[in-house]
Amino acid sequence: MVGNLVREARFLAKDGGALFWLGLAFLLSIVAVSFGVAEVRDQQETIAELVKEDAADRANALKGQEDWGGAAYYAFHLTHAPPSDFAFAAMGQRDSSPWKHRVRMLALEGQIHEADTRNADFGLVGRFDFAFLAASVAPLLLILLLYDLRAAERSARRHDLLIATAGSPIQLWFPRALVRVVALLLLLLIPLWGASLVAGTSLDIVLKATAILIGALLIWWLIVELVSRVNASPSVLLTSLIGLWLALAIIVPALSKAVIEVRQPLPNGGEILLLQRETVNDAWDLPKEATMTPFLEEHPEWSAYATLEEAFEWKWYYAFQQVGDQVAAPLVNQYRSARLARDREAGLISFLSPTSFVERSFEKLAGTDAASMIAYEDAVRDFHRQLRDFHYPLLFRDQPFDLNTLKDLPVYAPTS
Amino acid sequence: MSMVFRIAKEEWRLWLRSKVVVMAALIVGTLLAVTSVLTINRVAEEQSQRLAQQVEAEETFFAQPDRHPHRMVHYGHYAFRPPPPLAIFEPGVDAVTGQSIFLEGHRQNTAMFADTKAAADLGGFAALTPASLYQLLLPLLLIVLGHALFLRERESGTLAVILAQGQSGVTLAMGKMAALLAVIIIFMIPLIIVAAYSVSLGESPLGALSLVGGYFAYLCVWGAIVLAASIILKQRAVSLGVLIFMWLFAALIVPRFAINASSAAIDAPGKIESDLVMLSEQRKLGDGHNAADPAFQRLQAEVLEQYDVETIEELPINWRGVVASYSEAELTDLLNGYAENRMSLEASQSRIFDLFGLISPTIAIGSLSRTFAGTDLATHHRFLRESEKLRFDFVQSLNEVHVNELSYADDMNRNADAEAARRAQVNSEAWQVLDEFRFAPDNASERIGRATISLGVLITWLLVSISIVFLAARRVRL
Repeated sequence: MVGNLVREARFLAKDGGALFWLGLAFLLSIVAVSFGVAEVRDQQETIAELVKEDAADRANALKGQEDWGGAAYYAFHLTHAPPSDFAFAAMGQRDSSPWKHRVRMLALEGQIHEADTRNADFGLVGRFDFAFLAASVAPLLLILLLYDLRAAERSARRHDLLIATAGSPIQLWFPRALVRVVALLLLLLIPLWGASLVAGTSLDIVLKATAILIGALLIWWLIVELVSRVNASPSVLLTSLIGLWLALAIIVPALSKAVIEVRQPLPNGGEILLLQRETVNDAWDLPKEATMTPFLEEHPEWSAYATLEEAFEWKWYYAFQQVGDQVAAPLVNQYRSARLARDREAGLISFLSPTSFVERSFEKLAGTDAASMIAYEDAVRDFHRQLRDFHYPLLFRDQPFDLNTLKDLPVYAPTS
Repeated sequence: MSMVFRIAKEEWRLWLRSKVVVMAALIVGTLLAVTSVLTINRVAEEQSQRLAQQVEAEETFFAQPDRHPHRMVHYGHYAFRPPPPLAIFEPGVDAVTGQSIFLEGHRQNTAMFADTKAAADLGGFAALTPASLYQLLLPLLLIVLGHALFLRERESGTLAVILAQGQSGVTLAMGKMAALLAVIIIFMIPLIIVAAYSVSLGESPLGALSLVGGYFAYLCVWGAIVLAASIILKQRAVSLGVLIFMWLFAALIVPRFAINASSAAIDAPGKIESDLVMLSEQRKLGDGHNAADPAFQRLQAEVLEQYDVETIEELPINWRGVVASYSEAELTDLLNGYAENRMSLEASQSRIFDLFGLISPTIAIGSLSRTFAGTDLATHHRFLRESEKLRFDFVQSLNEVHVNELSYADDMNRNADAEAARRAQVNSEAWQVLDEFRFAPDNASERIGRATISLGVLITWLLVSISIVFLAARRVRL
């Protein structure tokens, strides 16, 4: 067997076409991970810069405030989800979902749906990252490397002779294909491993990513192997394989996506916003009880402090901000759970498409999948709750204003 | 000429006999039909939904009760971007940008609720549109059909016979080209139907026609590349391999590579980033809610002098309204400066991206298609600008009401008691200042003008690829 492999490796070294595909794979892998590493670095720098400027801006805004309500109104707080140490390999949803927000004490639903996204053309085309390379391009390269192993010999009329000399077909084709698959795999993986070292990715994740890629290439190898047993000309084989690739990489995902999105409709985002807006705005004209009653249902602890004497009081103002969120909550929950349901169904369907499966698995490892982005939104909601918990005692107990107290304002800490 | 026709006919006879080819054509045809119907339905629904939302937003604004005018500034308004007629073929950036924007005083918000954020994630190609089928799948179909156009004659030995009969390589190439052209024309039919339908929805015939023309040129480029490869290369499998590599490169790799490269070449800061930089400048402008802000001292002196009075209480107009109006104008200037800067950076990123069309015709047609359809980045930017104008106009009109129709004394007293609050309201008729907002795409000639670079790139591709076919055909030997 070892002798066979060495012989096939020597053959491969003389096969210009195969070397071209392998070289291309190596080059693309280097390009993909370099772009990824640079992008992650860029995002980290952006976050570091934002954290600094945000603190300065807040200090600036708080300076000269004279009451708790004003301080809460003018102080913004940065929240962010830093890219993980594997995000360089799969940017996933980070291109279409926001990963940074500035929030303040006002109704959260008016703030959390803001998307600080980039050039729209970028989100449309998508980027060239390792996940895309591994999921979509690598199978095509594998097909191009393997499809005519048999057929080329057949059209060169050496096929039967070779089989006869080799003893069994397995001994001939298996080492030949194995050498190519392993070479492709290594050339794709080496840049990924290198970048993982640079990015400090944990070994566990690197091993999982490696396993996913091996699994994907094995599946495609199996597909190529089964198709190329058919006694047909190389171009018919290649056409059929490309057709299979199209079906698995484009048609199955696209059709499933359409079906999933019909099955799991989302509440219209505009309605969430409108509902929250109307509630907050109407509050100005409504009797104050219309705000304080639903507010105190959520926060009975402030009942004793909730008497309102003046026409405008900050505690009333922030109470109707919160009531705006409360009224929108059912729609918001529906929106959130529909997104999660879509993601769950997409996860199940992705077993039908190796390309979808690989891309989703990489995004999951990188923490850039839909679930991670929703987890970030949850963290923002959690932080906003902390802000309210910090401010309500100050607003309701009506203690004398003291800037020093605001040094203890909650600070957003990213979870990962 | 009859020879050319006969060669083309022979080619068609072979294709119709080949199961692979017929299957492939059927699958692509079905896909085109299905995605077209799905996209047309979706876009029609979005169109009517957004128009209804726009009308509803206006009606609720008009129907607001009597109140303090500044409350209406914060009540705000919405702008919706309904998809243009050709979005039924090319939905463009719409899915990424979101389509509604909330407009309010002292702030420029971003468009919200982009579809992609909530989409089921199934990887890179899951968002299938008729346009992406034309861009990605049809070239592949042409490759399958045509990679052996010449090679078959070579392999079966008929090439020798044809040349010996005195036919030149060019005649043969023209025959093959005619056969391929017929295929392309047949596959243009769905697009022509969709384009005609878009005209019935209000698209200008010129816009629809240029979209059809653009895709026809694009498919001809691929047809010529395929034919050239089959003439130049000597083995069927090599020809197919090379063509598939070119497709892989042009359709999958270069566009994504170009995205990474153009975003690396020009750093366009996000909104939060540029907002933070802007905020320190904004602070110098003063807070428009606080008429006593020292930033407004000079304004105060000027206004007092203009009306020849000593104190703001004596002014015939409402000083708080004056401050609100003045600071809104200053702030909007500042905000627009930053917004314009962001948009121009994005536009130059996209220009770099378009230049990559020189190595991938798919990029060129993608840009052309979005521009012709009116679903490109530039149209989105125009939407942002127009909705900003809408915002500024209604906010300033309300501020004018604040200046002229609400006395300073009542305004300052507004929190004293219920009666005082009532006096600090203006009649709801004042809310009629809001303009109707109906976003429409640019007219066709402007869109075509904007597509000059990509159009030039695509025409270059067409000329170069056809020249290569003729050069190669003239040198055909055995």
